[in-house]
Parts: sequence; structure tokens; C-alpha cells
Amino acid sequence: MSATIHLTLKVWRQKNASSEGRWVLYEAKNISTDMSFLEMLDAVNERLVLKGEDPIAFDHDCREGICGMCSLVINGQAHGPQKAATTCQIYMRDFKDGATVTVEPFRARAFPVLKDLVVDRSAFDRVMAAGGYISVNTGSAVEANTILIPKDKAEAAMDAAACIGCGACVAACPNASAMLFVSAKISHFALLPQGLPERERRVLAMRKAMDAEGFGNCSNEAECEAVCPKEIKLNHIARLNREFLRASILKK
Amino acid sequence: MKLDSKIPEGPLEGKWDRHRFNLKLVNPANKRKFEIIVVGTGLAGSSAAASLAELGYNVKVFCIQDSPRRAHSIAAQGGINAAKNYPNDGDSVRRLFYDTIKGGDFRSREANVYRLAQISNSIIDQCVAQGVPFAREYGGTLANRSFGGAQVSRTFYARGQTGQQLLLGAYSALMRQVALGRVQIFARREMLDLVLVDGAARGIVARNLVTGKLESHSAHAVVLCTGGYGNMFYLSTNAASSNVTASWRAHKKGALFANPCFTQIHPTCIPVSGDTQSKLTLMSESLRNDGRVWVPKKKGDARPPGQIPEGERDYYLERKYPTFGNLVPRDVASRNAKQVIDEGCGVGPTKLAVYLDFAEAIQRQGLPAIREKYGNLFDMYRHITSEDPYRVPMRIYPAVHYTMGGLWVDYDLMTTIPGLFCLGEANFSDHGANRLGASALMQGLADGYFVAPYTVGGYLAGTKLGKVEATHPNFRESESAVSERTMKLLSVKGARTATDFHKQLGSLLWDKCGMSRNEKGLKEALSKIPEIREEFWRNVTVTGENGEFNQVLERAGRVADYLEFAELLLKDALHRNESCGGHFREESQTPDNEAKRDDTHFCYVAAWEFMGVGQEPVLHKEPLTFESVPLSQRSYR
Amino acid sequence: MIEFARSSIGKKVLVALAGLFLCLFLVTHLAGNLFLLVGENAFNHYAEALEKNPLLIVAEFGLAALFLIHILVSLQVKYEDRRARPIGYLQQKSKGGSSWGSRTMIFSGLLLLVFLVVHIKTFKFGDAGEGLFRLVVTAFQNKFYVAFYVLAMSALGLHLSHGFQSAFQTLGVEHPGYTPWIKKAGCFFSALIAGGFALLPLWAYFNLGGH
Repeated sequence: MSATIHLTLKVWRQKNASSEGRWVLYEAKNISTDMSFLEMLDAVNERLVLKGEDPIAFDHDCREGICGMCSLVINGQAHGPQKAATTCQIYMRDFKDGATVTVEPFRARAFPVLKDLVVDRSAFDRVMAAGGYISVNTGSAVEANTILIPKDKAEAAMDAAACIGCGACVAACPNASAMLFVSAKISHFALLPQGLPERERRVLAMRKAMDAEGFGNCSNEAECEAVCPKEIKLNHIARLNREFLRASILKK
Repeated sequence: MKLDSKIPEGPLEGKWDRHRFNLKLVNPANKRKFEIIVVGTGLAGSSAAASLAELGYNVKVFCIQDSPRRAHSIAAQGGINAAKNYPNDGDSVRRLFYDTIKGGDFRSREANVYRLAQISNSIIDQCVAQGVPFAREYGGTLANRSFGGAQVSRTFYARGQTGQQLLLGAYSALMRQVALGRVQIFARREMLDLVLVDGAARGIVARNLVTGKLESHSAHAVVLCTGGYGNMFYLSTNAASSNVTASWRAHKKGALFANPCFTQIHPTCIPVSGDTQSKLTLMSESLRNDGRVWVPKKKGDARPPGQIPEGERDYYLERKYPTFGNLVPRDVASRNAKQVIDEGCGVGPTKLAVYLDFAEAIQRQGLPAIREKYGNLFDMYRHITSEDPYRVPMRIYPAVHYTMGGLWVDYDLMTTIPGLFCLGEANFSDHGANRLGASALMQGLADGYFVAPYTVGGYLAGTKLGKVEATHPNFRESESAVSERTMKLLSVKGARTATDFHKQLGSLLWDKCGMSRNEKGLKEALSKIPEIREEFWRNVTVTGENGEFNQVLERAGRVADYLEFAELLLKDALHRNESCGGHFREESQTPDNEAKRDDTHFCYVAAWEFMGVGQEPVLHKEPLTFESVPLSQRSYR
Repeated sequence: MIEFARSSIGKKVLVALAGLFLCLFLVTHLAGNLFLLVGENAFNHYAEALEKNPLLIVAEFGLAALFLIHILVSLQVKYEDRRARPIGYLQQKSKGGSSWGSRTMIFSGLLLLVFLVVHIKTFKFGDAGEGLFRLVVTAFQNKFYVAFYVLAMSALGLHLSHGFQSAFQTLGVEHPGYTPWIKKAGCFFSALIAGGFALLPLWAYFNLGGH
């Protein structure tokens, strides 16, 4: 049943990329437990705007857990307390009346803060541009059913392809590594016959781009897997390692 | 102004083929000399930008999110239609064409829809080649499922994330072109004006949402792929940044707006829980394949669903539409939900819901089968409502979802402004008065992969375009108009937030111009809009400054445009005194409360010309002729 | 090859390979040390035979190289990881991925490095005039030394509890059927090695010291 709670928010405020940030406390009063976490922030922001204060900037878009736009580290956890959920899918029934809730941006050198809780994740786009595709021009495809893909292979590829590119894996990784994100893409294509012609080139290029962005190294701690809203598994990282080793050995 | 839809002559089946042959070609060596701006990176925008770049054009891509991959096409769940006829159940290009025309309630162009059906199969081929992990049969072939409004299984799907997978396919093609240097991406940009030089679209002015700076970009053609305007209703299934601004500003610059009152209300959304809700979450209508829709027969029956015996339940869709049952098109399903709720049979705490029950399907097919098909949708429902749909029936309610109306385009997808193309949901072209499920993805990708690459080229090859730089005075003029508007928003310093105005507008529109509309209500709403708009400009408050990351300012700008556009939508709804598809006028219904079309008076596309804010827009009619499918009253009984 | 060794994944592969070889060394080392339990003669005999073997020097250099690679590359990786997040979190709470072992790899590793220095100084370069057995048993009469030894072996257990299975993951050895067994084997292996090595000083202290 819905109830009303009061919270104190401890929020990271930072005017822009080049300025220093600081912690600011806000009261979130009369919050219905049926509200989503972002709707709670909306309510806090509406009150700030009416007071003439600068509201808290945060990224969000679809609010149904698929666009990957929302970020936030809530009480030390990327995408908040629930498993297999994005920040927009967190509801206030997960919070206790009177609690203080810490809200931080995703932290990584490769994800610089743009304002408050908004970070720049374009590093992911650049990694994708390095090789996250199958080179096939529009019009040059063969008839769809000439490529037969066993059901379990297609399902496994889909497991990897479900990645929404939110960057929570980077945020939660003790080393700010992007291996889960990159491995999901590598795995998706490595599992499909369409991906095989560019198999070696892709993994070498994407690894290189990933390192150039300044992400950390993978230490197999599985924090990424634990926060991933789409439950992308660690075995994709093993596949990435395997693909990279293979490609490095085969490279001329 | 005379509307010329440029529909090619000759038999329907050969129109597109002949037209492609007649379109002029750009010399391959010259393609790199042409610049094309694509605004929006959903299915239509990403696919168009990638395909144009593959041909050799220089493409500049603008998106409002932080990455092209996040456009709202990503949220489409159920699937994409194609006339492959893999299940051998009688599908064909002609049947897909027929279903779409009929589903759209005879308010779309035959030629466009036929082309869409023809192209549909190539889309599937293309997406598979890109590595889209569609669902498969054990033998490795592609799987299909059925969807509302059709009696064949022609929907291809990737779990409940088809839109995401198709968008990632188009996005990957786009990123490949970025790496090759033919596409430049401008993320976190919002298009705020279209710039015309000598009557042709030659560029845009966009606001950099991070720095707040205005940026002018010139091009030889501009392709708008900025989606629909459903967010005008405040509560909708659209993403927060989906808005009408780009289309509206183009409209103000001379592009006609067609059929704005054709909005789609999706029947299977999670009901509203409170007044602080920011969006409605849709669940794929594929749920209706196995779920049964019902309400208690007794009005105000407050018993939990499990305690209502079979005999006291009204499976109203199965009762009224024995042929299609729970798979009637969206408009029919939504309107019937409204009817039973209006009669007092609604369920749940707000009484604004009907049940979608899987008990029988679980019993028949087993829990694992249902979990495999709909697992992610069930999880989503549980997340939001904290109820377990495997045990209690889901509660659903209709919500604004898609807009069939949009900028008027000809057969080449060009608006009434030369050089301004409009693709995907942003245009009006293919869905008439109601879109069938799994057809939006098909149309967005058809436009982007297989139509625009030819027709934009045809325009460039056949038009003499002088050199225009972003330093041209017309860009300066647009920039100052845009920043003047921005400064005006910042200077009001009133007492209400833009969100508050948005909510007010949304609830007015939902009440008066939602699932059913009548003259009195529409007139009432029309009289209120100028008042709200006037108060907005007098009493809105926008914090912060122009030259910074300012989400309050972004929102205020969009709401200001909704307040202008709403009037057009209402006027269109008022003038169209017939019921068709998603537009249900209470004055025009059959004795058993079905939508009654008036083909004698309204068999046309209503394209509106902007004459100034608050001024009477001018209506231009494009008559619709049906040569291949005889006009008939839709029946799903 | 240089590009491989400089890459994020390549560095981890080097650490993993060196780590697995070091695991092999631990097995042989523990097996040899178990001669302590057999008796003075047996242990000294084994030690002498080992030292007479001309290949020992090669093995020692190899071992030193493995240690160096494992340690230096790990430190570099750690440095890069720190740089990858210049501003840390105010609050950080696991959602259940990491383990105590995985979170403390750098600390257990550094402790083991200190142990290694002390260990080599005591036993490799200590005065073994009365035979290695005496040297070992004498050293293990110091309760602080025994405590330090046991502490270090606990760290080794902790280090291996993550390191063993993590190395397989880094090398891409992963399979839904086998990986759970690799993880179980990792736990068993770390307990066995740590327990085995810790047993010796405790045995020497309580059994031979006359306390």
C-alpha cells in the first residue's frame, strides 16, 4: 500500500565540467512510496524551481528501463538498491522514512561530470565506432532465412545484445573498467555467424579504443554483473578475453 | 498552395519501381560534395543517416540524448511486421498492404502503404545481416508471432526488446560511418529552427544542451526524424525528451502539418497510480496474444479478481468481436476499455483499469512458456506495481502512445518545403487514422533504409542549389529569433513551473481530445488554450541562464511549443466530424457504438498551413482515392 | 607482442599466467616442505638433493621472473585502475559481486611481498650450518615469527581464493558446465595450500619446541 515518507537527500552539485563540486542537503518531504526515484527528484526540483533555485540536473529519458540514459549512484549503489533495474525503475517503497539518501554521479575518468549528476558517456560511442558493427551496406543483405542460427545461439546473442549502454558496469567497477560493456558487444557478434568475418579486427580495435578512453582494468570482481540492469553476465568478459587472445595470436 | 503528392502513375505494384527509375541520380564522385543534416536518431534517423553516408554523402546527425542509441525507438517492444509469409499462413505483400490500409481506417495513401509493404521484407534481411538477434525456431529459421489487427503471423521480434535491437542495428551502421568519417554526430543538441534560403531548407539552428550555445549548420537538404508529439498529453508512453519542437518550428517555417488529431491510444499500459506520475509504461500488445481482457459484470464489484467466478466476468472483447477477440486493433481495444470503465465496471483502486488475465494461458501452456514469451514484461509490471502478474491478473489502461499525424510529405517523403524531408513517426504518411502494432518499426526503417536514400538523392540531383554557408544572414536571423524567445522565457520570472503548465494542458487534452471527442468539449478546450498560453508567457518561471546546461529552460521551450500546437490539434479534431481509427467523434458512431466514417465528406488528408500563433490556420485537402482496396466500414466482429 | 603486453587485457593475461605458474610452484614447494613432517634426515636429504641439482639456479631465475612479472604488472594495473577514477565515491556498497578476497587482492599481495622478502632472507640466506631442518625449526620457535607466518599464509589463502578462478576467467577459460567446478577447485586449492603451509610452523612450534 502507498504511504508517505520524508527523506534527506545528500546530492553532489557541480555547476559544470570545469568547476569544483560539493555536497548539498535537500529535504524531500511528503514523498509517496508509489513514486519512482526520479519522480521524487522531479518533486524536489519543482520545489527548487519555485524557490528560484537551480534544480538538480540528472539524465533520464524513457523512464521504463530501456534507453540507458539514467545513471545515478544511490546510497553507494549504481542504479540504486534493486537488482536488474535501472534508476528509473527504483521506487520509493525501497526507502525508509527519515533516511538520508546519498545521490552521486557515475564516477570514472572516462565519464566526466557535465553538471551535477549528469556525466558524459560518449566514450562508449567512440568504442562502438571502433568496431561495434557488422560491415554491411544497406541493400547488400542476403535473404534473411539463408542464415540459419540455432535457437540457443540466437538466445545467447540476445542475452549479450540486451545491454543498454548505461555505464553502470563502469560506475560499479572498483577499477572503472568498461569490460562488461565491451564484452557484451563482442559476445553478441561473436555468437552469430554474421559477426565472424570481422571477428579478429573487431576485438582488437574495440579493445584499443576502450583502453584509449582511460577505463580501468578488469579484476573479475563481478560488481559490474551485480549492478547490470539487464543482467549481462561475466562470462561475456571471458569470451572477450578469449576473442582477444585468439585475435592477438592469429594477427599477422 | 496546391498539394502535389507526386504519386507515380500506373499500376500500384509497379509505382515504386518506376519511380526509382525516374529519380535522377547523383554522380558518385559528386556525392561527397553534398551535405545532409539528419535530425533525430531513432530508427528512421539512424537508418537514413547511415544509408545516406554509405552512398557517399556527408551527413551531420543531431540527437537530443547523449548518444544516438538512446532515441525512443529503443522502447518499442513487440516486433516488426514483414510480408515474408514464413509461417505459410497466407501472408503476402498485398495482404500486409490491405491490413495496413484497413487498420488505418482508409485515411492513408494507397501508394505509400503499398511501397511500405513491398519494402518490408528487405528490412528483415538488412537487420539480420547487421546481427539483430531475432527470435528463432529450433531449426535456425526466424520465428514469427501474431499481433493485433492481423490474422496472420508476420511479426518478427527479439524478445520484448525489438525496438532496441533494431535501433542498435541502425546505430551500429551509423557508428561505422562515423569511423569512416562520413558522419559527424552532434549529441545533446536540440533543433530550434529550420533555416530556409531561397525557399529551400538549407540548414538548422540547434542549441548545444551542455553549453547553451546556439549552433548553425548549413546543408543541401534537411531530414527530420524527430518522432511524434504524444508527450503533449503530459502522461504518455513517450520518453521525456520526445517533443514536437522540431516539427513545429518547421511547420512555422512553412511545412504543412497533416492530420494532427490522429493520435493513438495504446490499450495495454500500466494504469496511473497517482498525481505525481511522470509517465505511463506500455506493455507490448503482444500480451493480448495470450492474455484475456475482462471486467466484472457487476458495476463497482470490489472483490479481488480471484474471487470473481467465471460466470460473473465479462470478456467483453471476445464477446463483441468473436473473429478477432482480444486481438482487435488498438483503437478498438482502447475505446472498449473506456466504454466498460465509463459504465462503472473498472477495476483496481482507481477504477480506471481493466484486467488482462493470463491464468488460462498459464494453465494451457505452462508457466515456463509464458515466462519465456513475456518474462521481461511481467518483471516490468511487478517492478512498477509490486504485484505478481503470474498470480493476479494485470491491470491495464489505455495511454497516449503514438501519433499518426505529422508533417505532410509527398511520395518522396519531402514536406511542402523543398529540401526538407520528414521520416518515421514525424511524418503523417503510412498509418492513416490508426497504426497497427509492429508497423511503426517497419515504417521508420522503410523510410530510412530504403526510401529516403533514393528520394533525397533524386532531389539533390534534380535541383540547382547554390552554395550556402552557416554565415548566411538567414542563419543570423534564425539565431536571434531563437535567442529572443529563450530570453523571453527566462525573463518572465513568474510563479508557476513549465511542468505545471504542461500537466494542465495534458489533462485538458486527455479529457477533451483523448479517446473520444465531441464538438462541445473540443470547443471548450479551444477556448481555454489561448488563456493557458497567455498565462504561460506571463507567469512561467524558468531558473538559471541561457548559456549553461539548463533542463528547466529546455522543458519550458517545449511546453511553449505544445501550447501553440495544441490549438492546431484541437482544430483538426473539431473540423473532422467523423470517427475514424484513433479519432472517435461521439457525433459519428454506429448504433452499436462503433466508429462511423464519413467518406463522402472526409476522405482526405487535412494539411494545415501556419498563419501565425493564435491565427486561423488554412486547411489544404489532399483527396484520398482508393483504387485497390474498396472503401468499406471496418469490422473486426 | 609489445602491443599485447601493453593492452589492458594483455597485462591481466600476464598476471594470470604468472599467477598460475606460481600456483604450480606452491604445490611443489609445499610437497617438498612436507618432508619436515617425516623427519630431520629426510628433510635435509631433500634440501641437499635440491641444491645439488644444476637446474635449480635456472628454476630460481624463472621463479624470480614469474614473481617480478606478477608483482610489477599487478602494480601497474592497480596504478591505472586508481587513475581511472580520480574522484571516488562518498559511499560505495556492493550489490553482491565481489568477495572479501577479490576486494583485498592488493593488500594480501603486498603482505605476501613483505613475507617473501623475510622468508627468503631467513631460509634462503640464513645460516644452515646444522642443516636446513634445524634452521627452520629454530626460526619457528619464535612465536612472533610463527604468528607472522600464519598471518601471511592466511593472506595467501585469501589471495588465491580470488586469484585462482580469476586467472581462468582472464585467460578466457569459461564454460557454463566447468566454471562452477573451477571456482570450487579454487576454494579447495587455496584452503589446501594456505592450510598446508601454515601447518608447518604451528607443528614445529607446538611439537618440537618443548612448550
